[in-house]
Amino acid sequence: MENSYLIEADNLAYKINEVKLFTNFSFSLKAGEALHIQGSNGSGKSTLIRILCGITPPSKGKVSKKNGLAFSYLGHKNALKTYLSVRDNISLLGLSQHESLKPFLLSLDLSEKLDVIVANLSFGQQKKVALLRIFLTSADLILLDEPFVGLDSTSHDLLCKFLEKKLNTGAGLVYTSHIPTGISSKNIVLD
Amino acid sequence: MELLLILKNEALKLVKKTRAWLGPILIFILIMVAFPLTVELTSNNLSDAFYPVLFISILLVMMLATEDIFLEDYEDGTLELFFISEKSLSQWVFLKIFMHWLFIGVPISLLGAFFNIGANNDLASSLMLFPALLIATYIFLILFCFGNSLSLTKGSVLGTLITLPLTLPILVVLGKLNTAIIFNISYFEFLILLFGILSIIIFAFPAIISRIIKTHLE
Repeated sequence: MENSYLIEADNLAYKINEVKLFTNFSFSLKAGEALHIQGSNGSGKSTLIRILCGITPPSKGKVSKKNGLAFSYLGHKNALKTYLSVRDNISLLGLSQHESLKPFLLSLDLSEKLDVIVANLSFGQQKKVALLRIFLTSADLILLDEPFVGLDSTSHDLLCKFLEKKLNTGAGLVYTSHIPTGISSKNIVLD
Repeated sequence: MELLLILKNEALKLVKKTRAWLGPILIFILIMVAFPLTVELTSNNLSDAFYPVLFISILLVMMLATEDIFLEDYEDGTLELFFISEKSLSQWVFLKIFMHWLFIGVPISLLGAFFNIGANNDLASSLMLFPALLIATYIFLILFCFGNSLSLTKGSVLGTLITLPLTLPILVVLGKLNTAIIFNISYFEFLILLFGILSIIIFAFPAIISRIIKTHLE
């Protein structure tokens, strides 16, 4: 793999119970590039992201990452403890002392919700809390599975701007989304 | 530093999720308080029956305490994050079990020794019983965690059934230890045997459990 690539997938295939989800899937992503994975429900978008993260092993093919690559992932599960407050969840994620925490809390309209139990937040608000982990990441590669689901237009725009900014600073982005995002990306469609 | 952070996070979760540790402790107290009420007042056998009831109730309570020990982290995605963070999953399992033991195993061991004073009117035997209970609760906790990891996505009953035979040798050793305490003969051999079992499984099982959890995640 050339050094300029952050991540490269070579001939990936995945099947569940002998049913093929996708086959011969290859791509490479350089710093500053984004890959938008599209496809219908059940086409294997989330599985593909999980394979790229290294959570799920592919049935065939391999994923190569740049040596020492730090990546950040947000999937369908948001890793929040619903019985804890927003503040406690931020503490669990190790973000309490992050210098950019306050501006993002303000932008996401969460600064007044710090002591609210996560179970009492709406789905969209929970998503925003989970997204804090992405907003405060210093990772070189960001992997997101349906990151825009449940977000209002303000938060949607904030996330798009943030991701564009990260791309301009040399990070890579792989994401799935059913809706147009405005982020300039390579597109791959899984049937 | 990393270890302290994991311990702090697990402690925070348990402090805020009171039912996870207070529930098993209250059930233990309920059993130990209710047991003498079911025995005839004229009976002289209360102290004879005390130890078997104590050991079986500890077994049941530790089974309850581990019911969803990994399930929550599996379902909310915490385990996925931990898996890709390249931190040691077996270390996390070890520390999670340890923190559960601190919150549930230690209080139950203390209460067990306390109830022993009530049942046998003997402080010396309670002091002998306490370290054995500390070790036994830890062993039961690890074994039931193993069972729960096996049936992580299938409900905890199946895992518990698989694990139950593994707890039988521990109950046998506890029974022998109980006899040694009653007849005031050396009980250290049994205590050392329990400690020996613990010293093996305390490190081996978190590694096995983490491997099982990884398989579930995949």
